[in-house]
Amino acid sequence: MLLIPKLLARAVFMALSLVSVLVDSTVPARAASTTEKTYGFVVSSLFTAINDTKYMEECPEGLTQSNDELWLKGMTPEQREKATNGGQTDHVLRRFAAALRGPNGEDVCWNPEVIKDPPMRTVQGKVSYGINLDGTSDGKATPKTCAHEKFIGLDGTPAVDNQLFRILGCTRGWRAEGGIESRAQAERLDISQGIILVEISGVKDLRNDDNVRVTFYRPVDKLLKDGTGQVLPYVSYQIDTTRYGDSTRGRIVDGVLTTDPIDVRLPFYGNLVISDLYIRGMLLKVDLAPDASSAKGIMAGYSDREVWWDYIRKIGMTWLGRHSCPALYEASRRLADGYPDPATGECTAISSAYKIEMVPAFVIHPSVTSAKAP
Amino acid sequence: MKAIRTCFIGAVLCLTAFALGGCGPGEPETHGSPPTIRRLTESQYRNIIRDIFGSSIKVIARFDTPEREYGLVSIGAGKADVAPSALERYDNLARSIAAQVIEEKRRDSFVSCRPQSVNMPDEACAKQFLGSVGRLLYRHPLSEDELQAEVNVANTVATSRSDFYAGLEFALSGMLVTPTFLFNAEAAEPDPQRPGMERLTAYSKATRLSFLLWNSAPDDALLNAAEKGELHTRAGISRQVDRMLASPAIETGVRSFFEDMLGLDAVEKLAKDTIIYPAFSASVATDIKEQTLRTLIDLLVFRNEDYRNIFTSRHTFMSRQLAMINRVPIETEKKWVPFEFAESDPRAGVQTQLSFLQLHSHPGKSSPTLRGKAIREILLCQPVPPPPADVNFDTFNDPIVAKTARERLTAHRANPSCAGCHKVMDPIGLTLENFDGLGQFRTAEGGAPIDASGELDGIEFVGGAALGKALHDNPATISCLVTRLYSYGVGHIPTRRDRAFITYLQERFAAEGYRVPALLRQIAQSDAFFAVSKPSRKPLEELKSAANSAHEQEQGL
Repeated sequence: MLLIPKLLARAVFMALSLVSVLVDSTVPARAASTTEKTYGFVVSSLFTAINDTKYMEECPEGLTQSNDELWLKGMTPEQREKATNGGQTDHVLRRFAAALRGPNGEDVCWNPEVIKDPPMRTVQGKVSYGINLDGTSDGKATPKTCAHEKFIGLDGTPAVDNQLFRILGCTRGWRAEGGIESRAQAERLDISQGIILVEISGVKDLRNDDNVRVTFYRPVDKLLKDGTGQVLPYVSYQIDTTRYGDSTRGRIVDGVLTTDPIDVRLPFYGNLVISDLYIRGMLLKVDLAPDASSAKGIMAGYSDREVWWDYIRKIGMTWLGRHSCPALYEASRRLADGYPDPATGECTAISSAYKIEMVPAFVIHPSVTSAKAP
Repeated sequence: MKAIRTCFIGAVLCLTAFALGGCGPGEPETHGSPPTIRRLTESQYRNIIRDIFGSSIKVIARFDTPEREYGLVSIGAGKADVAPSALERYDNLARSIAAQVIEEKRRDSFVSCRPQSVNMPDEACAKQFLGSVGRLLYRHPLSEDELQAEVNVANTVATSRSDFYAGLEFALSGMLVTPTFLFNAEAAEPDPQRPGMERLTAYSKATRLSFLLWNSAPDDALLNAAEKGELHTRAGISRQVDRMLASPAIETGVRSFFEDMLGLDAVEKLAKDTIIYPAFSASVATDIKEQTLRTLIDLLVFRNEDYRNIFTSRHTFMSRQLAMINRVPIETEKKWVPFEFAESDPRAGVQTQLSFLQLHSHPGKSSPTLRGKAIREILLCQPVPPPPADVNFDTFNDPIVAKTARERLTAHRANPSCAGCHKVMDPIGLTLENFDGLGQFRTAEGGAPIDASGELDGIEFVGGAALGKALHDNPATISCLVTRLYSYGVGHIPTRRDRAFITYLQERFAAEGYRVPALLRQIAQSDAFFAVSKPSRKPLEELKSAANSAHEQEQGL
C-alpha cells in the first residue's frame, strides 16, 4: 500500500513538469497560432563572400605578398641565412620570428603601424557577391559612406558594395584554397562556438509575406552533427538570454527573405579567437526552401572595422593567411567605405557580404522556471 | 470422468493447501516445473554488483550475446553455458571488481572488521567479510565448509603476499567466478505439507521473488525472511512482496522485464546506413531504448495506468537527439524531459516509438513485414513461421517495379508460398509506413504518397496511432503480457498444465484494471510462482546402463 501515495506524488510531479515544458517553451517552426508560424534555423556555414574565379581574373597582379615574404625581403642575405638556419627553417616554423618584425621587435599584427609595407594587392575584378548598401549607382560619397568603387553582382545586379572582398579577395587565406576561412568554419562546428540562430516569426505564408520578424540569437547548446560533421536539422537549441537577440523586420517575396537593415552584433568564432560580428546596416537575403528544410543566401552590411581588425590581429596566423598585417591594416583603412567618423571623416566600417547556409532548428526560449534557476 | 476426477482431486489438494497456508483463493492448482538453472543475465550481474557494492564500482566488460527462447532472454538463460573465452572475461571482470572493492579508499565501507595486522592473515576478520559478502553473492548463507574454503584461500594469499587485504581480494574474485554466483541454481526439498512432493527451498523462493521484482539478488531482509522460514507462509511472502513493490528497486525490475519482453537489448547491435539516415548514431540507439523504458516505467509504475495504454499514450520522455528525429522542440537543460505529443501528432503508443520503428526495420529502409512480425510475436505472442529458404527478392528489390513498400509487397505476395505469412504481418506493418527506417515521419516514399491503411485481426484502420487503438482493444495483448511475465518469473516456457493458472491471472489482471504492479503482486504471491515438480531424470544407474547398451550396439557386440 505504501506504493500508491508514492506513485501518486510522482505522477503529480511528472504532470507538473510536463505542463512547465509545454507552457514555458516557445515552440518555433511549429504553429504559433492558427495563422502565424515561427521558423527557426541554425547557421551551418558562414564564409566571407569571396568571388574567387578559376583563373584569378579578379587578381591580375597575383596574390598579395605574405608576411614571410616581406620579412625575408627586409633582411640582408646574411641575416636571412642566419634567421632561417640556412633556409632549413620553413615558413611555418619561422612564423613567430617573422611576426616580430617591428623596429623594436614588435608583433606587427598587434602594432600594424610600426612599419610600412608595400600596399597589398587588392581585387581589380568587377564582379562580386553583395548588395547595394549605399543606394548609389556609382559609389560616390554620401553622409553615411565614403567614395568607393562598385561591383556588379554575380547575378548581374548593378552597383553592389563589397569592399571587404576588394581588400581580401587576393589574399590566399580568404580564398577557397586558403586556410583562414575554412579553418574558422571547421572550428565553429567542432566546438559549437560562434554559432548563430535565426528565428523568423509572424510568418503567414512562407512564400510571400510582407511582414515577418527576424531575430538573431546565440545557442547555449552544442551543435548536433552527423558522422561526417554536417549540422543535423531539427535540433532544439536554447538561446543565450544574456547577449545578442537583435531583431528586425523582413519580407518574403517568392520564397526570398529580405530583412530591413539593422545594426547587429552576432556571435563569431574562428582560428581560436572568440569574437563578434558587428555589422551595421546589416540585411539578410536568403532563399527559403518551400518546406523550410534549408535556407541559403547572403548577409550583407558594413562590418565594423575595429571589431573586424581586433579579430585579424588576434588570430595572427599570417603563415596561414599569407597576408601582411601592416598592409592589410592600411588597406582596410584606405578602402573602408561606411560610417565616416564625424571628426576625421575616415570611414569606420567596410561594406561586406557573408555567404550563409542554414538548417532548420528549434529555437528554445528558456522557461520561467529555468530562468529563475540559480 | 477422468477430467472431473482430476479437477476434484486438484480442488481438494488446493483447499487443503490453502488451509495450510498454500494455494490462494480461487487459484487453480499448478504442478510447476523442475527447478531451473539459469546463468545470470548481464543486467542481473550488473544489478547484483551495484546493489552489494554500490554504483561506484565499475563493471566494464563485454558479456556474451544472450540467448533468447520463447521471446525471453530470461528463459534462454536456462540454456546458456559459459564458454572458455567467456570464463576468461568473467575472471578478468571478477578481478577488476574485487580490486575496486578492496582498494584502500573503499575497503572500510565493505570490511567492517579490522585485521590485527594488515601484513598477516586474520581468520576471524576474513570469515566475517567473506561470510557476509558471500551470503549476498550466493543468495544463501555459505556452509561451514564453503566459508572455510574461501577463508583458506584468503589466508594463503595473505601469507604469501604479507597483505591481509590482498587475501580478501583474491578470495572475493574467486567467489565471483564460481558457478554458485554465476548461475542461479534453484534447489528443491521435500514439502512437509504435501508428502511425496517437493517445494523450493526458502532461499530459492527468495531468489525467484527478487529476480522477478528487482532483477537482482535478494537483499539482507529477504534472506533473513528466508532464514526464518517466513517464505513458506502466505503472510511471510505477502510482507516481503509488499516491501519489494514499495521499494524504488521495483523500477529496475519492471524495466528489466520490458527490456527483455520487447527485445530492447538488440539496440546494442542496431546499425543504420548513415548515408541514408545521417541522424543515426550509437548514442541515438542508446536513447531509443531509454525512451521506451522511461515511458513504460512512468506509465505503468509511477502513474499505475492500465497496461493497454502503452499502445495509445502520448506521454513520453525526450532527449535532444530523439526530439530531432521526432522533429519536435524540447527544453535542453536536462538530458531527459517529459514530453506529450499533440493530439494531431501521428505518434502515440510504443509501436510508434523510435525503438520499435528502428529495431524492426532494415538498415536503409523501413519494413512493414518486420514491423508486422514484431507486433505479432512480441506484443501479441503469436509466432510467425520463418520464410522459406528459396525466396526470390528480385521483384521486391526492384525500385522500378514499385516505389512504395505497399507496392513492393503486393508484387511479392504474388508468390503463393509467401502470401500466407505476409498477410498476417504486412497489413499491420503497413500502417506504420509513415515512419521511415529511422522512425522519421514522412508522407511519401520515392515520390509516391504513402497509404498507411491496414488491419489487425479484421479491424481496419489507418496509421500508427490507430494501430495502437486496435492493439489496446485486442485481447491477445493481455494474454501475451500475462504469459510472458509469468514465464519470465518462473524461467520456463508455459505448458498446457499452466494454462488454467494463466487464464486465472488474466482474469485477476482484468479485475485489477490491467495494472502491472497488481499483476506482479498476483504472480509473486501465487503458489504457482513457487511450484516445482521433481526433475524427470532417470536414476544414474539406469542412464549408465542405457549408455553401455548403446555403446555395445555401436561396436556390433
